[in-house]
Amino acid sequence: MRVLVVEDEKKTASFIRKALQAEGFAVDVCHNGDDALAAVRVTPFDGIVLDIMLPGRDGLSVLRLLRERKNATPVLLLSARGEVNERVEGLNAGADDYLPKPFELAELVARVRALTRRSGENKSTVLRVADLTLDTVTHRAQRGGTDIELTAREYRLLEFLMASAGRLCGRMMILEKVWDYDFDPGTNLVDVYIKRLREKIDADFEPKLLHTVRGAGYVLKEQP
Amino acid sequence: MTIRTRLTLWYAGVLTVSLLIIGLGTYRELSEQLRRDRNRKPAEHAIAETGELVLQVGLPAVLLGLLGGWWLTRRALSPVAGLTEAIKKIHERNLREPLPRTGNGDEIDQLAKVFNDTLARLDESFNRTREFTLHASHELKTPLTVLCGEIETALRDESLTPTERDRLASQLDELRRLARIVDGLTLLAKADAGQVALELEPVRLDELVRDNFADTQILAESQGIRVELTACEKITVRGDRHRLRQLLLNLADNAVKYNQPQGRVTMSLRRAGDTAEFTVANTGPGIPAESLPHVFDRFYRGDPAHSSEAESCGLGLSIAKWIVSAHNGTICIESVPSKLTTVTVRLPLAQKNEFRL
Repeated sequence: MRVLVVEDEKKTASFIRKALQAEGFAVDVCHNGDDALAAVRVTPFDGIVLDIMLPGRDGLSVLRLLRERKNATPVLLLSARGEVNERVEGLNAGADDYLPKPFELAELVARVRALTRRSGENKSTVLRVADLTLDTVTHRAQRGGTDIELTAREYRLLEFLMASAGRLCGRMMILEKVWDYDFDPGTNLVDVYIKRLREKIDADFEPKLLHTVRGAGYVLKEQP
Repeated sequence: MTIRTRLTLWYAGVLTVSLLIIGLGTYRELSEQLRRDRNRKPAEHAIAETGELVLQVGLPAVLLGLLGGWWLTRRALSPVAGLTEAIKKIHERNLREPLPRTGNGDEIDQLAKVFNDTLARLDESFNRTREFTLHASHELKTPLTVLCGEIETALRDESLTPTERDRLASQLDELRRLARIVDGLTLLAKADAGQVALELEPVRLDELVRDNFADTQILAESQGIRVELTACEKITVRGDRHRLRQLLLNLADNAVKYNQPQGRVTMSLRRAGDTAEFTVANTGPGIPAESLPHVFDRFYRGDPAHSSEAESCGLGLSIAKWIVSAHNGTICIESVPSKLTTVTVRLPLAQKNEFRL
């Protein structure tokens, strides 16, 4: 997997590169929009991390040009402004995801991973992790053949975690996908729900599936 | 006493004095004339005739003068009344709208001009403050991103001792809190500058309240706090779904955070006239009366003991107030210390025709 990071702030670009490399991505870095457009012409990337505030040609116009040239590489937009309008504008311009600064690095990595995941990887209506299954049609959850009662919110949380099984899910990402919040509520809502979910799917079973990654988020997987 | 009454009274006084002078003059003239006519009882005649004159001619003239005076002062002062009404409507957000001027260059027009100049200067200084906050919060974001990112990178290092790890993690927590404060500040600075556009649409408030109620129950559970929803009428308002959810969660979170163990949170949503009325009441220490008017102020903390509260950023209620005002609603808070604190939000109902859209 090869990712292009377009970010003019050198330090930010550097730790994004390190974090993605640590996750096994090959990373190229550009510091302005024109270099990025040139790089995209010669190298096929699996994903692009694109800052909106760039010197010269800004991120949004780079994105529009890319899409005009029929380049469909998944793009994650970064922005220091974090406006709702900007987010909508970015998604309309053809971005696949949007992350306001300051972001959590783990969150960024998780999103890039989600972005570059090949589509159609999981087409089944029944999600499965170890002996935990979730039927996305009947909303029935089972572990080791035992039915698990879930509230609507718990179901959506579990569905999201299982759909991204094995990948780290950051708090903001969970708030966005499960709660549809576009703001950081500054509460421990996610942690409390995770705790409840853990009691239902993990307390009476082995091995434990729902793991906390300190300071980063949660991951659902078989091995710790 | 208004200027108009005062001027009219003075005017009445002046007229009375003039009447007296005229009366006195007439009396003298008349008695002189009568003496020349060798009348026997000049004095009585003169008095009677003067009295008649004053009563029949002078008094109606005085009354007419008084009426005229009252009308004149009213006319002269009516621009002042207009000015008063216009000035009453001034607040920090509409400083740019100047007061209406007659343009005839009179004293009142001059006053309006001077006042408009003052407003313009005030507006400029308000703008400078707003822009400063906005720029400051933007500028803070880049170093914050770098700091958070570098600490997170450092935390990935497997060779860290548990103490080092704890220290870094705690720094990261504080940085994230700082990031939330900066986020809140940016939002408010933008709202002040009128740069936040709400996406207005008909929103089923009762659905949002029920949703929020479920989340609040979960948030409150660990502290044994009971959450109740006593009423939830089917209500549609015209609003921005995301901001309204932010408002509800914000208020609910406060009600849980500033509660007592085994306490209670009671919510309700009702129709009250042509508004939707949402209330959240919570048990707990409450807010002293002297702090109540300030709780919506930015970074205001009534109780110094709360200043170390790591979870709150001190902007929650300011943001709540902004969201409510942006929806043309009102928010108020009442508190009986160590008993019950109640926040009431009133939002205008959606119009019937919007309802069907």
